[in-house]
Amino acid sequence: MSKAGNRAERAEELIEQTGEALDDGKHPMRIFNDDGIYERELQRIFAKTWNFIGHESELEEPGDYARRYIGEDPYIFVRDEEGELHAFYDSCCHRGAQFVRAEQGNTSHFQCPYHGWTYRNDGELTVVPYEDERYDDLDKEAASLVEAEVETYKGFVFARVVEDGPSLDEYLEEFKWYLDIALDPTEEGLTVVGEPRRVRAEVDWKVPGENFAGDSYHLAHTHGSSFELEYSSSIWERFDAAGPLSQSYSVMTDTHAGEYYLFDEEPIYMDYPEKIEDHMNSDLSERQREMFSKSMFITGTIFPNASIWHGFNPIGGPWASIRLWRPVGPGESEIVSWLLVPKELEDDEEFLERAKAGYQSLSPGGVLEADDTEVWSGISESSNSATAIERDVRADISGGLEESDAVPITDGSHGPGEVIRAGPYLDEVYARTLFNSWHEFMSEQR
Amino acid sequence: MQSGTHPQLDETGDEWTPERMQRFFEVREFLLREANLLDQFELERWADHLTEDVEIRVPVRVARDAGSDRPEYSDSNHHLVVGHRDLLERVARLEKEYAWAENPRSRVRHTIGNVQLGEVTADTVEVFNNQVVYRERGTDGESDTISARRRSHLRETDEGFALADRDVFIDHTIVPSRNLTLPLL
Ligand code: FES
Ligand SMILES: [Fe+2]
Repeated sequence: MSKAGNRAERAEELIEQTGEALDDGKHPMRIFNDDGIYERELQRIFAKTWNFIGHESELEEPGDYARRYIGEDPYIFVRDEEGELHAFYDSCCHRGAQFVRAEQGNTSHFQCPYHGWTYRNDGELTVVPYEDERYDDLDKEAASLVEAEVETYKGFVFARVVEDGPSLDEYLEEFKWYLDIALDPTEEGLTVVGEPRRVRAEVDWKVPGENFAGDSYHLAHTHGSSFELEYSSSIWERFDAAGPLSQSYSVMTDTHAGEYYLFDEEPIYMDYPEKIEDHMNSDLSERQREMFSKSMFITGTIFPNASIWHGFNPIGGPWASIRLWRPVGPGESEIVSWLLVPKELEDDEEFLERAKAGYQSLSPGGVLEADDTEVWSGISESSNSATAIERDVRADISGGLEESDAVPITDGSHGPGEVIRAGPYLDEVYARTLFNSWHEFMSEQR
Repeated sequence: MQSGTHPQLDETGDEWTPERMQRFFEVREFLLREANLLDQFELERWADHLTEDVEIRVPVRVARDAGSDRPEYSDSNHHLVVGHRDLLERVARLEKEYAWAENPRSRVRHTIGNVQLGEVTADTVEVFNNQVVYRERGTDGESDTISARRRSHLRETDEGFALADRDVFIDHTIVPSRNLTLPLL
């Protein structure tokens, strides 16, 4: 490592070193908090990948809009008068002023507060004050709002800054088999409950993303104080008794990674009210349906920074959630969480109460996440250091790389991708998968 | 709760009778003592003054356009809603060595002001207060400030007042601290 090197050189070196170190299940710790790395992540990852920006059900009426971001870039997520969804870059084509000052609202037009240029909610420029007096022939069409690519998967809306690249479908690749189960298990699909919740923490986006992709290894230590409590529901105790090693699975596809826990003794449908069985989505294959019926919970990370959760924990649930670890600076994130429930159950008060209790366990006020953010923020502080560079400090994600007691599932009884039993406890291949994706984008192979 | 920017105290118009003044001072004293207990991490003693049906809620706040007919404080989404059992579990948890969020303890200071009585009935008093809660963690001297308005219902019991119900309307749309533990509410 060039010790006195400038930040661009250092970042490129860190990227190169990551590529080499990953073969041994390592990466430089410094990539968790480094200015040069961060700048490149915004450009090479967040501008190029499909980023989750919201759920269709958040924008019910034409004109409903929400402030969203792709990486750090401000966008307006809006449903136009025809019902079409868009993600507009929030910057007026005249001199760049922003339109949106609220998190959510409804409007047929975006009127610029600076000089009054006005755009319809489908992005078209319609009004330019003194247009005839000022311009000979203003090309209004060319001045319509800059729009991100937008595609939807099962009601989950993703946007991309660059125009060219794989479709969302191609990008989600084999991981979709699992997302189908987690994000669209019932006939009517999931719907968002309330507004997303937001908290700011000194946490690099890669850390929680990797955690949600399969880090069951941390549960006993980070969350020991919570799991010892009387919270544990009776259903949870039964699973506990059955032993997590036999129930936990990791799944890795080319780009994404997740984990899920299955209970073999009887169908439990994530502890949903029984009627859920009559409302299963008929698009699911028999194997997918079986997997849902055995599931306790499914979590995972859609690279780069959208993590999913669906199921129950000792504190409550079942509930579904999608969470964004949105980068807001080197080593710093805004954590945004959405709560979703099957539409069939959205008015079931008793169910909602349990769902919310579970959802809140992973909130800043929740007993689980309060300890996560505390631990994660230490990583940010330590990795942004001269020591990390001078002593070439490396993070270790080599668990299970050379030798692992985890059992590969190769008989096709689960879904596509690489599936291993007890993976979340014995093997860190989920983390290597995500850092591999990171390295491919950062070294511009993708 | 009204759907305006923040919960307003409707004009009660009640007269300042000697009884009402007495109530005001008793209630204010309760809030200040409670704040001291939270600041000193005396959570078990704090929890002695909760009714069995107590509920504490922290709704999510959403920035909205002026004149929007949707509430700023979400009626369907909360950072937390906790009842009696859950509160006692939380107190027990935070006393444990491995409750990282509060080990070491946050350095916390409540400053309570704008105390106003709402509706006063024979056994229950509604009280509003504003608060600035200073929180310092870690060793680098960094701190967070959480500003809020609370609405509480205190119920008279044999051992004096007990907290029966509370909304904590935080002023932030993004929680400015990495977590929201009990002593910060
Ligand atoms: S910047 Fe928008 S009208 Fe001038
Ligand atoms: Fe955790």
